[in-house]
Amino acid sequence: MTTLEAQLLGYILYAGAIGLILLGVFAMVAFRHLIRMLLGLALLEAGVNLFLVAVGYRPESAAPILTGGVPGSMVDPIPQALVLTAIVIGVGVLAVGLALVLRVHRAYRTLDTSELARAIAREPEPTAQELRLPGGAP
Amino acid sequence: VIDPALLVAVPLITAFLLPILYRVHPTVGRATAPLAVAVTVILGLGLWIHVAQSGPQVVAIGGFAPPLGITFRVDHLNLVFALAMGISALLLWPAGRYDEVRENALMLLLVGAGAGLALSTDLFNLFVFYELVAVASYGLAASRGTGAAFAASLRYLILGGLGSAFALLGITLVYAATGSLNLAHLAELGPTALSGPLGLTAFVFMTVGFGVKAELFPMNTWVPEVYATTTARVAALMAGAVSKLGLLVLLKLLLTAYAGTGAGTALLTVGLLSILTGELAAFRATDLRRILGYSSIGQLGLVAVAFSLPEGAGVLAGLAVALNHVVVKPALFLIAQGWGNRLSDIVGVARHAPVRAIIFFFLGLSLIGVPPLPGFWAKFLLLSALLETGQGLMSITAAVLLLAAIVEAAYLFRIARVVYEPTPAAARTAGRADLIPAGLLGLTLLLAVVFIAPLGDALARISG
Repeated sequence: MTTLEAQLLGYILYAGAIGLILLGVFAMVAFRHLIRMLLGLALLEAGVNLFLVAVGYRPESAAPILTGGVPGSMVDPIPQALVLTAIVIGVGVLAVGLALVLRVHRAYRTLDTSELARAIAREPEPTAQELRLPGGAP
Repeated sequence: VIDPALLVAVPLITAFLLPILYRVHPTVGRATAPLAVAVTVILGLGLWIHVAQSGPQVVAIGGFAPPLGITFRVDHLNLVFALAMGISALLLWPAGRYDEVRENALMLLLVGAGAGLALSTDLFNLFVFYELVAVASYGLAASRGTGAAFAASLRYLILGGLGSAFALLGITLVYAATGSLNLAHLAELGPTALSGPLGLTAFVFMTVGFGVKAELFPMNTWVPEVYATTTARVAALMAGAVSKLGLLVLLKLLLTAYAGTGAGTALLTVGLLSILTGELAAFRATDLRRILGYSSIGQLGLVAVAFSLPEGAGVLAGLAVALNHVVVKPALFLIAQGWGNRLSDIVGVARHAPVRAIIFFFLGLSLIGVPPLPGFWAKFLLLSALLETGQGLMSITAAVLLLAAIVEAAYLFRIARVVYEPTPAAARTAGRADLIPAGLLGLTLLLAVVFIAPLGDALARISG
């Protein structure tokens, strides 16, 4: 790989990461459907993770795994370790989010945030008595 | 010598063992969870004494030395926040009315991760603990199990996820600019490597990210819905101890990696906007829990402003405002829950609950900053720290602070007028369970009034 190619690859990595981040933020802000918003979050996280890996990328380098001989140059292993953790956290948060989506859908039969807001506004405010008692868990 | 990692490990391990312990016998599970938090608090106090005798400790986890290894820094400033988290959790332990096993496990997770967040000095480790605190908060926010609580928690999660992604992006930029994640190491690299646009962009991203938990503008839109739909104890815990942890992370960054880079201006700006929007929204709100939620946004803005002052000039003031809020706001939430949500619910409630009314307004006066209550000294410290910097912007900030105090007084006195209305209200049976922690918090504040001088000296030593 020539230096020019390596540089180009770096640009593509960063452009991809920033593109994913922008796409994710756009989806989270523009859509009113809860699952689309969560998918936006997944895209955003993927973009940030790609950015993190791109920061540690070095042209013409081996993966930071020792398999016998020591290679001349390795990519930075720290971002890779961080990304592994970040992916796991992201998946966990997404799972919690989808579990909450299920509960919300069970309660209101809709996933549209504006319809949800209207449905919640129609509910009577809980009285002091209800605040101290268990809610109507499905 | 106590290993500070135990402060994280004890609650976390207990959290994972809890379902098994409940299967052995519900009483075992019920007793173990708060006991583990109590052990954590005692370990924290032990560390406090150790630090008082032999100075701050830096402990490398697993024996891997920095900059590669992860370190915990045990000093009094970090311990104050870790202990505030543990003690608040004990005081505000969920009464087990909903899903007891999960609530208790989440509380343990919150305490363990909170201690880690307070003590860690590694940027990525801070991110991991922040996420743990966040996930525990999402669960606790939904603990009432109503549809509205799930919806509020989901909104919180979406906003929190957005914030966390930005925090991670900021951390990535710091790593790209410096090649390090250790705050002590970054303190050496920061002034040259992070004072440019890249470093400041990273700080703005991290302010956005950690600002979700710290209820900073504009990432605080989850606050009113979550506090209005979750239990008073969870709202009290989140507004009290958890929110301060987000600010502690930003303070750590400003004191180390961003010392002398002017990044504080970003925090000052969001702090000011938080004060203005929070207090004005509280003034306009008509339901008690939303008023308290918005007011906590304003109070956290005060702490953010204090922490943003250059060279750590406002650390003492910020610590004082933060601790005043940690004591005051939970008790207000607890008492408000017993009264009801709408202002029309609480007309003349003082007749049925005179003790609650007295505690509520005693603490409320400290929130406004009426002398000789601790809240007054906290705001006084903040004002003098602002004016001592001698900058025009800080004088404007001081004016905003005074204006905010007037707005706070206006809405709290409006509540007082309703509560002490002479028309008799319908008699209401208020649970006593919430009166005990509220009373203890009131007592704490009373003791702080009596021992204000030694307390002030201690805080001055902590903030060094």
